[in-house]
Amino acid sequence: MLFSEIVIAGCGNPLFADDGFGPALIEEMQELSLPDNVTIIDAGLGGPHFIFTLLDPEVTKKLIIVDIADFGAEPGQITKLRPEELPPGAYRDAHSWDLTEPLQRIKDQIEVTIIGVQPARVTAPEFELGLSDELEKAIPKTIQVILEMIGVDYGTTIKCLQEKHQRGTA
Amino acid sequence: MVLKVNDQGIIETGNWCSITPVRGVEKLAVGKTPEQVPKIASRVCGICPIAHNLAATEAMEASIKCEIPRDALMLRHILQLANRLHSIALHDILILPDLYIPGTETKINPFTAEEPVRTVAKRIQRLREIGQTIGQIAGGDCIHPRNTRVGGMYRNVSEQAKTKMYDLAKEGLPLAKAQMDFMIAVLRNYQAREHVDVGGMKVALPKTLGYHNQGYLATHAFYGSSSLDECPTWDIRRFKEVRPWDWYMGEMEVSLEEPRYPIGGTTKMGTKVNPQMEACTGIPMYDGQPVEVGPRARLAVYKGYDEKGTVGQNIAREMEYTDCFYEMFDCLEELKTDGKVVADFIPDGDGTLGWASNEAPRGTDVHLARVKDWKVQYFSMLVPTTWNFATCSAALTGAPWQLAEVIMRGYDPCVSCATHMIVVDEDNKVVAQKLIQ
Repeated sequence: MLFSEIVIAGCGNPLFADDGFGPALIEEMQELSLPDNVTIIDAGLGGPHFIFTLLDPEVTKKLIIVDIADFGAEPGQITKLRPEELPPGAYRDAHSWDLTEPLQRIKDQIEVTIIGVQPARVTAPEFELGLSDELEKAIPKTIQVILEMIGVDYGTTIKCLQEKHQRGTA
Repeated sequence: MVLKVNDQGIIETGNWCSITPVRGVEKLAVGKTPEQVPKIASRVCGICPIAHNLAATEAMEASIKCEIPRDALMLRHILQLANRLHSIALHDILILPDLYIPGTETKINPFTAEEPVRTVAKRIQRLREIGQTIGQIAGGDCIHPRNTRVGGMYRNVSEQAKTKMYDLAKEGLPLAKAQMDFMIAVLRNYQAREHVDVGGMKVALPKTLGYHNQGYLATHAFYGSSSLDECPTWDIRRFKEVRPWDWYMGEMEVSLEEPRYPIGGTTKMGTKVNPQMEACTGIPMYDGQPVEVGPRARLAVYKGYDEKGTVGQNIAREMEYTDCFYEMFDCLEELKTDGKVVADFIPDGDGTLGWASNEAPRGTDVHLARVKDWKVQYFSMLVPTTWNFATCSAALTGAPWQLAEVIMRGYDPCVSCATHMIVVDEDNKVVAQKLIQ
């Protein structure tokens, strides 16, 4: 089976600075040992094509999407959103599938939560690698939010992750 | 897409400019390690990360002259084929709304819950799942493969994983055959029509829809080639890139508008357009001409396929469905799960120019690289859609303007994925209620 009961997808493009938050978070989460019913996946830009339109509601019950979201907060602040709160999106064709349209289709069968993090810097269309300090620091707390949502207690690991993301530590 | 049409609405000149988001990647790659650059390359597209990852990795290997073990190559082949399988199925969803349920005047909505389309949609979904699952097993991840590395693959698969891939491929083959037959039937039905409907307009369907005389480029029947090959199938000396302003129209103003055209009508009258300036990439040429790359090019070069036009191109893509599985069976047969998958010696590179082509679902994806002392000095990507820009533009000539997009979709083009960001609402009302950290 391609996806399990809980799917956590990190969306975004690391070529545009903070837009790479989702994939960076997934890379960090790959270091954790998570229950078998959890799939974590670096969706990049392919979430609509490779995940949201391929989930089987018989199997997958919970989808957590991590992405940057401009909601006017301070950089690094986190919000939780439901698909109903997003712009509805429009289907044009199978290539320009936008992020939110497939979510509207699946939201009644699968519990969908979007964790949005306020970016500091999105450089599109210019390429720039690396997250801003604010978003780098937001990784451990976002992981903590996700682990709470999926009911995994990972206290010590989170502490280690936090230390790793503090400047000046080895 | 900018179209100059005559009084009958027939395209005299068509310019298709898409902003393929690869500008700047060449600069970004310089100074990075050969391990980093394929990861960067795989991020330029939301649908083709696997092709870009493989082409970039193999361009690095070509530059440093590193030959990878056979079993690593087999895993890459399987990954590539699995990705193609998913891509063909996705393309079916893209073109089905242009086509009709045979014997009716009803266009196909792939999302309807009604039969007979429902069965087709379920089959497409299962084929996509099979492709993605096999890709995940071989590549370590189904979107951005983690298992590929310069010098081979990080790890081989287990015997159980190999059996799983076999089982999935065995399940997929009859589905692919049925899906191919269905798609060819509806494409032939479309081709036989005198008229088709576009947004309520009755449009005469030319028998030469999408014809062009630009020739084909393919570097392998299904996988690719590189400068390390004994007989490379792409020759850098036959390649030249020219500026888009030699091929595209200059500034002009929109003087024909059709509000009935699907999804909001065509661009408003009076809008200024300038294809010469809006086309941000060069025009790649092979033997002095733009060429077509993609499924038909592969079939034409390696299997003697000769049907021209948009329908012929779509049928060629469908014919690759079953080939994906036949090739996959061969690769699985050859794959030894106890074989090594990393080269014994991975050189640091001496600055030699290497290239690798990958026959991506959309066509030949050529990456060029120069690596010295484990640092990338030069990197360039010639992506399939860039190859097809000028060819597709030529294929538009002579068609009714209403069918221009049908022709374009035949190329299964990469439309700019760029970035996306959720903008919640302009008043930021959500902040107060929803901020959790």
